[in-house]
Amino acid sequence: MNELLSLDRRSMMTRMMLLVGASATGGFSTAALAKAATSGKSGLSKPNFLLLTALADTFVPRTDTPGAVDAGVPATFDALLFHWASPARRDELIGALTAVDRLAIEKRGKGFADLSSADRLALLLPYDVEALKVMPRPKDSKTFAMLQGPLYANPSYGKLKELLVILYYISEAALTHELVYEHTPGVWLPSIPVTSETRPTGGAGLF
Amino acid sequence: MFDAIVIGSGMSGAIAAKELCERGLKTLVIERGRKLEHGASYSDGLQPWELPDAGMIPEEEVANDYPIQSQCYAMSSANKDFWVKDSEHPYSTPEGKPFSWIRGNHLGGRSLMWGRQSYRLSAMDFEANAKDGHGSDWPIRYEDLAPWYDHIEKFIGVAGSKEGLAQLPDGEFLPPFGLNDAEIMFKKAVESKFPGRNVIPGRVANLSQAQPQHEELGRTSCQVRSLCERGCSYGAYHSSLSSSLPAAERTGNLTIVTDAIVHSIIHDPKTGKATGVRVIDSNTKKTQTYEAKVIFSCASTIGTTQILLNSKSDAFPEGLANSSDMVGRNLMDHLYGLSVAGVLPNGPDTFYKGRRPTGLYIPRFRNVSEPGAFLRGYGYQGGAMRMGWRTAALGKPGMGADLKERTRKLGPWMVYISGFGEMLPNPENRVTLHPNRKDKWGIPITHIDCAIGPNEQEMAKQIITDGKAMVEAVGGIVVSTGTEPGVPGLGIHEMGTACMGKDPAKSVLNGFNQAHDVPNLFITDGSAMASSGCQNPSLTYMALSARAAHHAVEFLREGKI
Repeated sequence: MNELLSLDRRSMMTRMMLLVGASATGGFSTAALAKAATSGKSGLSKPNFLLLTALADTFVPRTDTPGAVDAGVPATFDALLFHWASPARRDELIGALTAVDRLAIEKRGKGFADLSSADRLALLLPYDVEALKVMPRPKDSKTFAMLQGPLYANPSYGKLKELLVILYYISEAALTHELVYEHTPGVWLPSIPVTSETRPTGGAGLF
Repeated sequence: MFDAIVIGSGMSGAIAAKELCERGLKTLVIERGRKLEHGASYSDGLQPWELPDAGMIPEEEVANDYPIQSQCYAMSSANKDFWVKDSEHPYSTPEGKPFSWIRGNHLGGRSLMWGRQSYRLSAMDFEANAKDGHGSDWPIRYEDLAPWYDHIEKFIGVAGSKEGLAQLPDGEFLPPFGLNDAEIMFKKAVESKFPGRNVIPGRVANLSQAQPQHEELGRTSCQVRSLCERGCSYGAYHSSLSSSLPAAERTGNLTIVTDAIVHSIIHDPKTGKATGVRVIDSNTKKTQTYEAKVIFSCASTIGTTQILLNSKSDAFPEGLANSSDMVGRNLMDHLYGLSVAGVLPNGPDTFYKGRRPTGLYIPRFRNVSEPGAFLRGYGYQGGAMRMGWRTAALGKPGMGADLKERTRKLGPWMVYISGFGEMLPNPENRVTLHPNRKDKWGIPITHIDCAIGPNEQEMAKQIITDGKAMVEAVGGIVVSTGTEPGVPGLGIHEMGTACMGKDPAKSVLNGFNQAHDVPNLFITDGSAMASSGCQNPSLTYMALSARAAHHAVEFLREGKI
């Protein structure tokens, strides 16, 4: 029964995506971005929310499956900024966000959200590689530090990306279309074959 | 007047109450925290996308209210109310000697959030103090407790495999949650390269197959959701709310009061017995006294210690049942956080379904089948799993369609093991009452002075060395190690501060968990432990509680107390 419901939701989402003209190659146009970024209330300023929407769409675009904007990641992230994040964390994340905009202005002469999806991707990929260079951690570290993940060259950007990507992958859209998630598996099967259809299991767990 | 008062409704208290009620005693359970209800108080129905703040507790709230509790692996925004606010429940530690006291003040206590790993102590554990001279010699041996382990395992339901190991006795098990293919590969590699070491399914208090005695209480089989720490509406793991308190309630002999903080236990110097407890309502701060013929203190190790030390009288100026000066001493936890993780490049091309509530266990082998440059030993908990979406999505730079594509693929297998080492009983590791500071109910706060010693430091090194060797034995590439033991307390196995022993001058409790000094006072939480073993201790607390309740009722009927 659960599988049937899941399949039905899958087909409904596919039809919905066809209606809104989803492409298989991904990325929102600047106009579509602007439209997506104007819906709902946000704590961020309008320009910053548009910037956030563009960044989320660049990290996880709509392809043959929903992307971060479809999954409502910008709004969820905006809520986190003003409910979960401390003032220092909020400043750090907004700083990382606006740094991406400054990069776009410096390299392309216009704001990040004003770039085409292809341009956004081309601009951000090398920046991403530099920012996520892993720095050495002290040799003897406690397990707690292990679980915090790697130390990045640009930790603010690393945290911003991590949050946006995680918010996408724990969204209903991602857990329905990208990964496999059953809230109540019901049975432990310690060994099942891997097929071309096998996907990682999703959820809020660490791994 | 009640026949019995049980202080605390957690792992030990609810079992004590059940056993006392089932033997016909009108029993009052006093819980300092608020009332919770099985099912209604849980958040296990929340889907991942419904978690408040994506499962994260607001950072300022962590800093202000949960700086200690947030160190617990099981805490999230979905269940933060299961933990105390550190800001409201202070304790002190010496400068530079932290101790993380993880607590849940509510009906059911930490039985709601426990890790459910359930292992018996063995004959060698009960003999360890006598053998090497640390701590007080246990007044009981394995054979004394074995039938009570049986009794508890049948009642709570423990999934596990029979292995025939002297250092980890078998029990009355439900079918185990089987090892996955990488764990079987790991098992074969470890057991062939290191004879005497064993890799077995983790023994866990989740109902792999609910039995009639579980179903009578409304409990059903585990749905392998691995959401246990949010409470389980299926009642599939043992907790006071799902299991022991309902069993006590159905006798008609149980009364529960919540929001009632025990200030002290009242002692009558004429009879030498405890007559009742003084209680403060946590909301109104009104005081009340409850009386009973027999009192069980199951307020958790440090909680019981606080109550005893605060129960001062002319007869016991240093605290009730403390003529030995051992109340508060010998605080132990388990060495924790010593972990090794490795990627298996040649792992099997299979997967698994479900989120099992346990993993693998490696029983102690040092000073069993292999020597150690230290006393006692350690076991490992762990598991093997295929690296999932987080690693694929965030493990390297990249974005866009490529990121989505790579995240759809199963990652390599990773094996992870974490050592749990035995701490020696050391009288200098001690809980006392703070001389000046009191909580908002006027009760002196506890001062916890505890550190790991040279034996534990030596053991910690070996845990990592052995862990690496075992991961490498299966062809694993070690990618991460946690080589520094966690802050004491984070094992959440604190114990030992009202130890059992044969000598009343050197211990607090006798072989029936009965205070040497106060015959109708029984203590069956972790404070009773004379040594810690390296096994997760809750099963032993429950077995001791059931056994003590049995004897307490016999003593009452015989007019001995």
